[in-house]
Amino acid sequence: MKVYDSFRSALQSLVVNKLRSALTMLGVIIGVAAVIAMVSVGNGASQSVQNTILNLGSNLVTVSPSFGSDNGLKGAGAQAQNLTLDDMRSIQDQLGSSIAAAEAEQQAGRWQVTAAGQNTNTSVTGVTEDYPVVRDWGLDSGEFFSTSDLNVNAQVAVIGSTTATNLFGDVDPVGQTIQLRQAFGGGGQGGGGQRARILSFRVVGVLGVKGSTFGLIRDDQIVVPLTTAQHVLTGRLNQVSQIVIKATSSDTMDITTSDVSNILLQRHNITDPASADFSVTNQNDTLAALSSVTGTFTLLLGAIGGISLLVGGIGIMNIMLVSVNERTREIGIRKAVGARRGDILNQFLIEAVALTGLGGVIGILLGWAITEVVHRIPQAASLPLLITSGTVIIAVGVSVAIGVVFGLYPAMRAARLHPIQALRYE
Amino acid sequence: MNQSVVQLRGITKTYRIGRDITVNALRGIDLDIGAAEFVAIMGPSGSGKSTLMNVLGCLDVADGGTYVLAGENVGKLSDNQLAGIRNKHVGFVFQTYNLLSRLNAIENVELPLIYGGDRHARRERALAALEQVGLGDRIHHRPSELSGGQQQRVAIARALLNDPSMILADEPTGNLDSRSSAEILSIFQRLNDMGKTVVMVTHEPDVAAHCKRVVRMRDGLIARDELVPRPRRAEEELTVGIGAAE
Repeated sequence: MKVYDSFRSALQSLVVNKLRSALTMLGVIIGVAAVIAMVSVGNGASQSVQNTILNLGSNLVTVSPSFGSDNGLKGAGAQAQNLTLDDMRSIQDQLGSSIAAAEAEQQAGRWQVTAAGQNTNTSVTGVTEDYPVVRDWGLDSGEFFSTSDLNVNAQVAVIGSTTATNLFGDVDPVGQTIQLRQAFGGGGQGGGGQRARILSFRVVGVLGVKGSTFGLIRDDQIVVPLTTAQHVLTGRLNQVSQIVIKATSSDTMDITTSDVSNILLQRHNITDPASADFSVTNQNDTLAALSSVTGTFTLLLGAIGGISLLVGGIGIMNIMLVSVNERTREIGIRKAVGARRGDILNQFLIEAVALTGLGGVIGILLGWAITEVVHRIPQAASLPLLITSGTVIIAVGVSVAIGVVFGLYPAMRAARLHPIQALRYE
Repeated sequence: MNQSVVQLRGITKTYRIGRDITVNALRGIDLDIGAAEFVAIMGPSGSGKSTLMNVLGCLDVADGGTYVLAGENVGKLSDNQLAGIRNKHVGFVFQTYNLLSRLNAIENVELPLIYGGDRHARRERALAALEQVGLGDRIHHRPSELSGGQQQRVAIARALLNDPSMILADEPTGNLDSRSSAEILSIFQRLNDMGKTVVMVTHEPDVAAHCKRVVRMRDGLIARDELVPRPRRAEEELTVGIGAAE
């Protein structure tokens, strides 16, 4: 029996029982739609998390200070003060072109900022000249400060786009002056006991819009030269809060991580890496940890969809068994005129697969429609919902496989019928 | 009688009903049917004629003895090989027509060609077969839109399609009125005149009187096997009018 004939007779019998076929298919449709929608939500969530991480800059290796272990006694990492600008410069010198860029940062706390009669309260960070490169963060206008600004502790600032709007509205902030005052109850470490100071900074650039990361609105901030922050704002002269190195690519991150580690161990005269007074974090590790979480999440959602697909499959099997029973006489007639076991088996298998395959296609469309609807929900609007070709292929593949698996037993029962008994069946 | 189409030697068949009741449906049948014969198999119910019919049609396999159909020993064939034999050598006509209700007339007739034989010109051959039984104008009708006699004629067209060695009819007129019966019988007679071998199971002597040879069975054995001196012609009865076949 030719495939064409098998398909034709399978489709004919599906068309004859339209309502039954539609209801049977519904199980598969819902299952596939659930898988598609769930997995796309899961993928979207995982993509969203990944974007958030990469928003901080890509291929980053971060060095943070930590207390070395002294006879098993460890200090709190946040209070450690043993990374310096020289550490960063020496990483730059020794690694040269094997890294993309490196920068050092020092948090200078929150300050009250005034300009042109407006004021705002925002955080100030001292950074070095390669900050925009490391953070993949271009400037909207003006330019970033340079090494020479760092050398002379120049009182220049680059402000975030939100800060710029808060202070200057539509006016171009570049070239304007802003005043920094110690914020109430907070501010830099050096501010506490000192008299209130007003410090003037000239705005040299405005950072591009970046959005928020984990609730931190990164567009509302001010960056100044690291040395200026150390000497003028905080008074913590020889410390940096972190050193951030950008590797040339995702593949070289592991090498860069160990290189940086070795350089710092040598500089700090530490022989045992276990008692290092700093910690090096690889962005890949962070991403891997997060993607394993979101992966589990996606798997869970997919499994829920999978269960409804399984139930749909059992529905297919049920209806195919009824169908075989109902068409016993037809099977007898077909056998009498020369149908072999394989012909009957094929006919019923193709019928089951046609049901699930068609159900799968409709399910994909429905799943796609669901993700579109979800997209219109305001809370989920920022979630990039991803229907990947992989998801589609797997969904169709699984639904066809379900047709084969759950159609096989009924089809085998049909194929095994004895022609005489089948013909006598009333 | 020239070369034989069917050659049965010592055919036995035993059925087991439930745990310990056995029925000896056939107890040693010897039978030869030659080409272009028109044979009626008669006998009371339980005489084994249905079992013999199933064995002849390769729907069932005998327990003992040998069966040679069109030169081929079919006694030891597998299910799939038997399906091939049925497709090629046997054309079935059943009492209840056994058409597929969701296919139209011509699709029903095409059915044997789906499972074997020449795929090409399938439609043309099915059409020719339908014209041969006088239904060339009803090819797109569903079985439910046809009378009993018309349905049986579709079934005959289906049986003819693969040009089988033998047409096997099981009470083909059992569900029909006398006029339709006469029509069906006249078709069989015409096919037989053209050289087709026709074997027909019936319990009506009137129907058997149209055959050239009558085999009577009793208790799983052939009781009598005789030629009909002057078979009745169904066509003549049709021209005389309804009721002439009584």
